[in-house]
Amino acid sequence: MTLFALTKTQEAGGQIALAAILGVVGFFLLLPRPRGRFVPGGIAALIGSAAVFGAMVYSTFGNPASDVVGSVLFWLFSAGALIFGTVLVVQRNPARGAIAFAFVILSTCGLFLLLAAPFLMAATIIIYAGAIIVTFLFVLMLSHAEGPSDENDRSREPLSGGFAGFAFVGLVLFTLYQTSLAHLPNDGGKDKEQHTPHLPMAVLTPEERQTLANAVVKLDEAEKALDGDIGSHTARDERIVAFDKAFTLALNDLSDVVGGPYTFGPSPQAGTSPAQTAQIRDGSLHQRLFVKKPTTPQAKLYREDQQALEAIERAARIRGLSEGTFKKVEDNLQRDTPDVSAAKAEVRKLRDEVVILHGMGQLPARNVANLGFILYADHLLAVELAGTLLLVATIGAVAVAHRKGVTQ
Amino acid sequence: MNITLWHFLAVAAALFGIGLVGFLTRRNLITMFLCAEMMLQGVAINFVAFARYHGNLHGQVFVLFILAVAACEAGVALALFLSLYRRRRSLDTSDWQELRELGVPPTVDTEPLEVVKEEPLPTLTPAGARPQPTAEEVARV
Repeated sequence: MTLFALTKTQEAGGQIALAAILGVVGFFLLLPRPRGRFVPGGIAALIGSAAVFGAMVYSTFGNPASDVVGSVLFWLFSAGALIFGTVLVVQRNPARGAIAFAFVILSTCGLFLLLAAPFLMAATIIIYAGAIIVTFLFVLMLSHAEGPSDENDRSREPLSGGFAGFAFVGLVLFTLYQTSLAHLPNDGGKDKEQHTPHLPMAVLTPEERQTLANAVVKLDEAEKALDGDIGSHTARDERIVAFDKAFTLALNDLSDVVGGPYTFGPSPQAGTSPAQTAQIRDGSLHQRLFVKKPTTPQAKLYREDQQALEAIERAARIRGLSEGTFKKVEDNLQRDTPDVSAAKAEVRKLRDEVVILHGMGQLPARNVANLGFILYADHLLAVELAGTLLLVATIGAVAVAHRKGVTQ
Repeated sequence: MNITLWHFLAVAAALFGIGLVGFLTRRNLITMFLCAEMMLQGVAINFVAFARYHGNLHGQVFVLFILAVAACEAGVALALFLSLYRRRRSLDTSDWQELRELGVPPTVDTEPLEVVKEEPLPTLTPAGARPQPTAEEVARV
């Protein structure tokens, strides 16, 4: 193995170069030409290129396998976009090329949906559906169907053209590879988990989401503990003890994420550092998101947007609610006429808040409203420019297509 | 580990590259136009992916502007195709290669296009004798 002891950079560079060269060969063999077109070989080379490309993405940026539905859709749409893009480039018939382009657009729209951009998905489909139909009309109007023609059956410089494109892709991928590892400590790739590329911090990490989900289940159990006989005082005390037990478990989970005034678990050790005390008081969410100013290099991608502020606010609300809920339930049950449904409603209120925090996404849910707000609040000049550009293009198109000196 | 920003960036780069290959090598104006649109789609995926991972919507707003520019481009480009087609009766870009840079040799297509041999349409063998035109039959169309 010592013969092949490459550094990680050389390995990635080699993979990218191999994928690019296979891509060049594939496109060279597939592009329309009078002679020398070898379709099976070209398809094989392109499949090899795609396999090496996928392996490189997999080994460098990680396997997206934990989110099964998302990753299946991602691979489906991205493969669709790339395959139909290839078909568009190597297809002789421009009408079939337009169909392949329609599928490229559909796949891209799928990727837009995965990236939480539903309005853009709809807008792209509507606009490009019109564009493709018009293109079709032009193909029918302008291209001669009969026989081979210069424009459809010849390519300009298939080899160097393919090389230019794939050299570009290879360089971009290599830059991505280096950028994704630039911030990491050079420990020789020992810890795979640490080598995941750095991204802006999430509103909720997967662990926090899991903890919140557990807290919701435990709150349900606490609510169930209130059911039963509350006729006598002993029975009520039993209910309160059972509720206390379940509710404390739920608060243990909650305080990990949103923090609490005191810990419900083992009391903090004498040697607890101030940072750990703050962690116990504020919870991991507040600790992570509430950064006044980036101080360490790790805090470079901190959040100060509306979404993060809302998450902090909601966490504070849950903290406040969780302090009062137990007291209210206990008071309620110890009254002369206990109202179990009111007590349950208190627990349910807390539970609903936790569920909303658990479901909080990365982006605002009201995509269109927020898009419109940003468009007219932050980019008003650009909107005006785009409108002017559309007007100029309309006039320009009429002027260019106008038949001079011909009277109807 | 989930799908990261880098997965989307890699796909977008590949889409852009394929479009670039098509734009550089194809000679049909309409196919070149579609390839340019595909490159725009690659850029749009980049913008939306960055918007997603920065947790704001500015990237999506830029894709809206890309859509507007793409619409303008489509309008002007198709009008240009129409007027170019009127002059040369072809969509081949090489018909316009006198517009090339000074000192660059012209491209000459040396290889002949393969001729598609079409099967002749099936005919029936005539049955019986061919009718002879007669004198009183003046006009037989």
